[in-house]
This record gives sequence, structure tokens and C-alpha cells, in this order.
Amino acid sequence: MRYGEFVAKHKIRHTELSYNLLTPKPDPSDTKSMRPERIQVSATRAAALLGPYCSVRLMEQLKAVVPLAGYLLIFQLLVLNHPIQEAFSLFVGLVAVIVGLAVFMEGLNVGLMPFGTIIGDNLPKKASMFVVLVIIGILGVGVTFAEPAIGALQAFGSSVDVTKAPYLYELLNRWTLPLVLIVGAGVGLAAILGTIRFVRGWSLKPMIYWALVPVVILTGYCWLDPNLRSILGLAWDCGAVTTGPVTVPLVLSLGIGIANAAGKGNSSLSGFGVVTMASLFPIMAVLALSIFVSFQISPEEIIAAAQAQSSAVVAEPTVWDQTPVSEVVLGVRAILPLVLFLMFVLFIVLKSSLPNRMVTVYGLILSILGMCIFNVGLTYGLGAIGGQTGSVLPAAFMELPISPASPIFSEVVGLIIVIGFAFLLGFGATLAEPALNALGLTVQKLTNGAFKKSMLMYSVAGGVSVGIALGIAKLVIGFDLATVLIPLYAVGVILTVFSSEEFVNVGWDSAGVTTGPVTVPLVLAMGLGLGNAVSAVEGFGILSLASICPIIAVLSMGIYIQVMQSRAPKKTATSIEGLESE
Amino acid sequence: MSDRHIVYLTDVKLITCVLQSGLAEEVLEAAKNCGAQGATVSYARGTGVRDRMGLIGVTIDEQKEVVRIIASAEQSSRVFEAMYLAGDLDTPGKGIMYMSDLEHVATYIPENIVSSAGQ
Repeated sequence: MRYGEFVAKHKIRHTELSYNLLTPKPDPSDTKSMRPERIQVSATRAAALLGPYCSVRLMEQLKAVVPLAGYLLIFQLLVLNHPIQEAFSLFVGLVAVIVGLAVFMEGLNVGLMPFGTIIGDNLPKKASMFVVLVIIGILGVGVTFAEPAIGALQAFGSSVDVTKAPYLYELLNRWTLPLVLIVGAGVGLAAILGTIRFVRGWSLKPMIYWALVPVVILTGYCWLDPNLRSILGLAWDCGAVTTGPVTVPLVLSLGIGIANAAGKGNSSLSGFGVVTMASLFPIMAVLALSIFVSFQISPEEIIAAAQAQSSAVVAEPTVWDQTPVSEVVLGVRAILPLVLFLMFVLFIVLKSSLPNRMVTVYGLILSILGMCIFNVGLTYGLGAIGGQTGSVLPAAFMELPISPASPIFSEVVGLIIVIGFAFLLGFGATLAEPALNALGLTVQKLTNGAFKKSMLMYSVAGGVSVGIALGIAKLVIGFDLATVLIPLYAVGVILTVFSSEEFVNVGWDSAGVTTGPVTVPLVLAMGLGLGNAVSAVEGFGILSLASICPIIAVLSMGIYIQVMQSRAPKKTATSIEGLESE
Repeated sequence: MSDRHIVYLTDVKLITCVLQSGLAEEVLEAAKNCGAQGATVSYARGTGVRDRMGLIGVTIDEQKEVVRIIASAEQSSRVFEAMYLAGDLDTPGKGIMYMSDLEHVATYIPENIVSSAGQ
């Protein structure tokens, strides 16, 4: 037998059927529409379609959640020798996180994103630039509310010790709504500036400098006031919290739509920069709010009020505290305003309708449902695991009442183990973040392959892990956050001056990308638990360090690549050729 | 007349495969294992069955990946079948594929390959 005959042979059984038999016959009277009819899907067919649809989406979240939670629990069980408490509720909580995130993300893609695209495409045609900017600003507030990770801030506020950090306690417990609003306002402002940048084609560098100046001034002011100093960690962490899976795509889709309408959407970099702004402005906003609060009320009053409240409320826990009802209410409250506002803009301002109403409604229901499920999981799953591991973590190097075997190691070895633990946690959590993969691909395309995807991913992950390790060290050793953050940002600014525009865009955005809805609550809860256990003033600050370190890592990597490129111009030429021939 | 020269390849088939987004990678791998030289992947948006199924239509991604592979007539049906199986096209909602004849194809073909094939 000839090879060709062998290859040409069919491997599987097949039959032939004329397509003519399947298409409708032309109607001689020409009265019936030839449009194909609606398909009735049987239950088994539906199951065959739904199976892969659900499993793909669930697996995506499973891959993000399970390794992280597993790492924490295994570390707690094997290294710290501490039994896992409430294992069943943790398990249910984690399942809720996975299901909730999967449902929410699907709802976001099917329900909320079409709104963003339609509004972004049509708004600039029908409204003036001023109206467009106002709408984008309000939207910034709305998306912040809808961000899953923002719930974590509200959920963990009660764990702060009022006597040590009165203003922090006050902000997190009685000013939560203004706090989220002002963070949202910061994001809104960032979205407005980002859009102007899209249209005008501004460089990101001066924007970073100008945004950092007030941030540094306010930070300095708060740092000098001993009562306000404890607020810094929270304020700088807020920047990392805001840039999650809702804000970034929605604001981007709007901005790109508007830039296209203005005829300036060609630059491949136009998508960047919003994330950077959206992580700097909230810092400024929170600092301003806390200074405002400090003029309103004195620390003594806060402590007195809190003590009065705690002695009054200690009475039996209500139904609200025992059941997840409050989480569900929070979930609805997070999404509904955003949806209502988007509908208002679409129907009232644009006077247009939705192209595919049923699917959009389905998406909106999914996003609300997913948010509620995720919120339950946030409290009982991620928050509980993070808090539990964080609170036993110091057992590695100091005596803890809850852990009989502590201290497990000598102080130095224990500290090294704890910091190493944090380092690995950051590395793994970052590499698992799907958004980083996407950013890596974009960057590889932008730089014609000079900045490889894996290089970006590893430098970001390295940066985050150093940041988280530093943050844990801050809590354990108890050094001042500002004394680390300010020099790190100074390094960031110096690197920015010497970097090219592309790398500045990518570098500053990479920080926001890394802090997703799984990492943020886990790290926040761990920090707060650890902070309580070592009786630090407050447990915030880890996320802020985890944002600046990757910026530095990516920028220095960019500069290194630039230097290498200018030294070996021939080599890059071939690498570009190689990419094109692919 | 220019001294440049075109070699026309005949007996060529084009296999086009429209897949739900995310499935292209596996299908490509299967095709390459059967001897396909290379492929072009492009992204597209599809309509059709999805819009006629009501709510269950959300299970089918609107985004499609289109894989186009040029194969020799002899290898084509084998590549076609391998791609069909790898993409699970025998289950609902995965995609559709077709094969068409190409009149002739031209590209850069190294001199030594042209001469050795002619013998």
C-alpha cells in the first residue's frame, strides 16, 4: 500500500447526507417567512450544553481559590501544628466563594459588560463631553460599590482595637458608607482623567507625578499626627482594593469606546493608565476623609462612644448576626445602584434599548446572585481562613495562648519561616491571577516580544511576594509603614523618570492587576488576624506594599531590557522577525 | 519577461473550522499531529443557532475562533477527522468545520524541495 493511500483513508465511520434535504423548501405562495424557527432544546441537550459551560467557569475560579486556601491550611496544619477550626463552615465558605465568583463573573460578562460597551459607543455621539465625564465619574463610584473585594474592607472593620487606633476604628465602623463613597469618588475621578487622557493622548508620567504629590503631602500630614498615623495602612491599601474585576473592564470598555468615537483610539497603550490612577486617587481620598474626620471628632469621644456601644450591644446576637442574611443584603446593595445607574443612562440619556434583553436580564440576575453568594463565602471562607492562619502564625516564633506548642521554633528561625511563608504566598497567588496572564500577553505584543510574558509574570510575582513578605515583617517587627512606603514610591518615581512610556504604563498598571477578589480578602484577613495576635496597632498595609513592589520590579526589568536592547540591536531585530513569521 | 518564477501547488485543500472560543488550541494540536504544516487562527463573532435557542443560548460563547489549515489532498481527510474529534464537534454547540478545494496555491518553496519533488 502506498503511503498516500494509507493517509487518505478515513479513520472513522461516516455517512453522507445532502444538505438540500435539511433546508426548508421555497414556498410557492411566498407568504411564509423563510426565517429559521426557534429551536426547542430537550432536557438532555440542555444538560450537554450546560455541563461544559458550568464546569469551565467553575474550574477557572477553583484554580484561583483552592491552591491559595490549601496552602494556608496546610501550612497551619503541618508547620504550625494547629488544628483547623470550623472545618465544615470553612469548606462551605470556600465552595460559596468559588460558586459565587463563577456566577458573578459570568453575570458581569453577559449582563454588565454589554451596557458598558453600548454606552461607551453611543454616549459621545449623543451627549456633550461634560455630560460624558460626569456620567463616567458617577460610574466610578458605582463600580467601586460593585467590586467584590471592597466588601472585605467593610467586613473586617470590627476587628480593630479602638483604644490603639481610634480614627481607624471610627472610619471602619461608623463611616463605612462615606469611606466606600469617597474611595468610589477617587475611582470616579481617575476614570474621568483616564478618559481625558484617552482622548487627548496625554503621557502617563506627569500624571503619576502630579497624583503622587498630594498623596505624599497628605501622608506626611497624617504621619505627623500620632492619632492619624494608624490610618495610613488602610488608606494605602484602599488603592489596591479598588482595581478589581468589575472596575477595570467596565471603565476600560467605556473609555475605549469614547476614545474610538473621538477618533483617537489607535494607540495600543490607550487601555493603560486608568488602573494606575484608580489606585492612586482613592489613597488621596481616604487620607482626606480621615483628616476631615479628625476635625469632626476627638479620639477620646470615639473611644467613649465605642465603649458605650460595646457595653450596650453585648446583648444576645440577633438573627442578622447568625445567618448570612446580612451578606445577601450587602450583595444586593453592591450591584443594584450600578445597574440602576447604567439603565438610567441607557434608557433616559441615550434613549436606546438593549439588543438582547433576555440575556442581559439573565446576566444581571447572575451578577447579583453571584455577589450575594460570594459575600457569604467572603465571611465564612476566605476571611475565616485568612484570620485563622494569621492569628496562629506568630506561634512560629512567640508564645501564643491559643497554641500550646508555641513557640514552635526559636525566634529567628520562626521569623524566617513566617516571612518565607508570606513570600511564597505572594508568589503563588500572583501567578494564579488570570488578569496577570492577560496583561503579560498584551505586553509581549506591545514590545514585539522583547518583554516576554513569563518575564513580566515573574517580575510582578516577585514584586508582590517581596511586598507581602515586607508587609508581614512590618506587622511582626512593628516598623512604621510610611518609612518604608515613601522611599519605595520615591524609587518608583525615579525609575519612572528613566523608563520609556510603554514600560511606565505597564509597570504602574501591573500593581492593580495583581490584587484580585481572592487575594485581597485573604491577605487582608490574614494581616488583621496576625496584627491582633502580635497586638500590633492595625493589620493593614500589606496590600499597599504588595502594590508598589511589583511596580519597581517591572520598571527595573523594563530598564534592564532597554539597556540590553541598545547594546545588542541585531539580536532584537531577529527576535522581531521571528515573531512576525509565527 | 521577469526572471522571477511561481511554483503552483495543486491538490490542495482548505480546512476551515469555526469553534467556540478557547477550543482552537486543542484542535490545532491534533491537526499538527496529523501532519498539518501550519494554521491561521482568527477571532470572530458568530450568530445563528445561539440566537434561536432562547436563554440556553448563553451556554454558547458568542466569540469564535476560526482555524484555517491548508492541507494536501491526500492528508486532508485524516487531518479533518482528527480536528473533528479533538474539537468534540459531535457534541452540540462546539462548532462547525468544512473542507474546500483550492485551485492552486503559491508561496515560497525552497529550490531544493522543488527539484527533489519533481523527480
